[in-house]
Amino acid sequence: MLKINNLHNKVETQDGEEKAILKGLSLDVPAGEVHAIMGPNGSGKSTLSYVLTGRDGYDVTDGEMEFLGEELGELEPEERAAKGLYLSFQYPVEIPGVPTITFLKEALNAQRTARGEEEMPAPEFMKFIREQSKALGVSMDMLKRPVNVGFSGGEKKRMEILQALILQPKFLILDETDSGLDIDALKTVAEGVNTLRSEDRGMLVITHYQRLLDYIKPDVVHVMANGRIVKSGGPELAHELEAEGYDKFIGEAA
Amino acid sequence: MGAITHTPAERTLIDLLDGAEDWRAAARDAVVRFGLPTKRAEAWKWSDLRRASQGIETAGTAGFRINGAAAADRVTLDRDGELELVAEAGISVASIEIDVPAGARVVLKERYSLAEGAFPTARLEITLGEGAQLERVVLCDTPESSIPVVRSRVVVAKQGHYRQATLTFGSKLTRNETHITHAGEGAEVELGGVYLLEEGRHADFTSTVTHTGPGGETHQLVKGAVAAHAQGVFQGKFKVEQAAQQTDAKMTHRALMLDDRAEIDAKPELEIYADDVQCAHGNALGAIDETALFYMRQRGLPEIKARALLIESFLAEPLDLISDEALREELASILRQRLGAIG
Repeated sequence: MLKINNLHNKVETQDGEEKAILKGLSLDVPAGEVHAIMGPNGSGKSTLSYVLTGRDGYDVTDGEMEFLGEELGELEPEERAAKGLYLSFQYPVEIPGVPTITFLKEALNAQRTARGEEEMPAPEFMKFIREQSKALGVSMDMLKRPVNVGFSGGEKKRMEILQALILQPKFLILDETDSGLDIDALKTVAEGVNTLRSEDRGMLVITHYQRLLDYIKPDVVHVMANGRIVKSGGPELAHELEAEGYDKFIGEAA
Repeated sequence: MGAITHTPAERTLIDLLDGAEDWRAAARDAVVRFGLPTKRAEAWKWSDLRRASQGIETAGTAGFRINGAAAADRVTLDRDGELELVAEAGISVASIEIDVPAGARVVLKERYSLAEGAFPTARLEITLGEGAQLERVVLCDTPESSIPVVRSRVVVAKQGHYRQATLTFGSKLTRNETHITHAGEGAEVELGGVYLLEEGRHADFTSTVTHTGPGGETHQLVKGAVAAHAQGVFQGKFKVEQAAQQTDAKMTHRALMLDDRAEIDAKPELEIYADDVQCAHGNALGAIDETALFYMRQRGLPEIKARALLIESFLAEPLDLISDEALREELASILRQRLGAIG
């Protein structure tokens, strides 16, 4: 479903110099599978999520990334979104003045329009969002508030998952979704993610800690270091990392 | 100092006011002696009227209408109404004096219907009696080639409440001047302004609020967004006289540069002669939040739509002053339409 081959990119640092982050990353996530990417800070995990979703300043310098058979590199972020690529942000962004419910309705209908589908009628949308919110413990009052403004860390992450439930993407990238969550919030969020698991949907779970993977069980675990995947294995690899640390893998990458 | 050489616009204006009395005579005299203001005049340094008026050489006509009919020079307003400034092409002068009697509560919708190339200089003298409330909602949506120069002087008696919300899209040069005399003693002034300027347009919000009596409140919030080669100007001044103890006044101007080539000039000023007051001003310029823009696009909103939503949410706040929901929504929807076009 998502095929990444020999991906390279550079970003501009604050002093105006170019710095290589991804250095030949290859990865293949078939539909129906959940892959985890673990790695130390600075290994390029968040950069990968921005390169895949097309953020400005994160252009590919070499290699390919193919989603459902189509090269992503030339597509705008909103075109990738309409194709079904969804990023749950490590730090969800506050948008003052735009009510969450308005934002979600605009986003859903923009995606549907881009795919040549009809917009969802307002009553149907309201019913849909009410159902999905209930499961995540999100109140209508929260939905009327501006996007992420004044929300706690846990509430923001729940909102990210709610947005995924509304937009029904084909592929989810979860960037450090566990950061800033206590154990109850983590369980709620993981349950939300697990309801999205299906045979025709893929997921990439980016995390620093093994903890999240107790609740979102991956099919494959990759270790990322220095801009590349340095080792791949089953779920047991996450426990190995937790017990032994990243050091020996970083050694392998260098 | 030798006599100045008048521009065609100035000569037309001088002829137009020939034989006039009262303030018109004073205005004519000022143009004879100094010409139209240029950037060398401190109060006009970012709005060079003489330069903007080049190419306008003929006299036009201008006048105020109230509720669809030509207005008298002086009117008493004790119920809601609509004020319209109508101007044909060319240089023109219009004036109206409005009295809001003690205790009256009035909402006044104000709009400008200007032809291409219209250059009206308009004078409004507004007086609020004791305890009077006036909410003035101004829509300044005029052709790019027009030059509206509107100067309002407002006198607010004690217990009075003056509220003004202005939405402007600018033009070759647009000047909205408001000068308020604030009696304090329970009186309150709220000033809201929004400017959204497309390429090549200019808009200037200039205001002074002079607190003359104790315990007055003033809140001013002006927000703007400016595209490439457009210019937004904010000049705000609060003057607090010695008798105006316990004045509470706050001025805020915030603007978005939509492009590196946008120009925004701001001069907030406080002039305070009383020692027991709370006065503050803030001024901030910024650019669109690129992280928010990416977040919205990642959710599927096209870039133009995402930008428009972000700008709208930034700009809309001063319009919250408008108490009538339908009227507020009318202005918000005009703003939204213009944002759709700006991209």
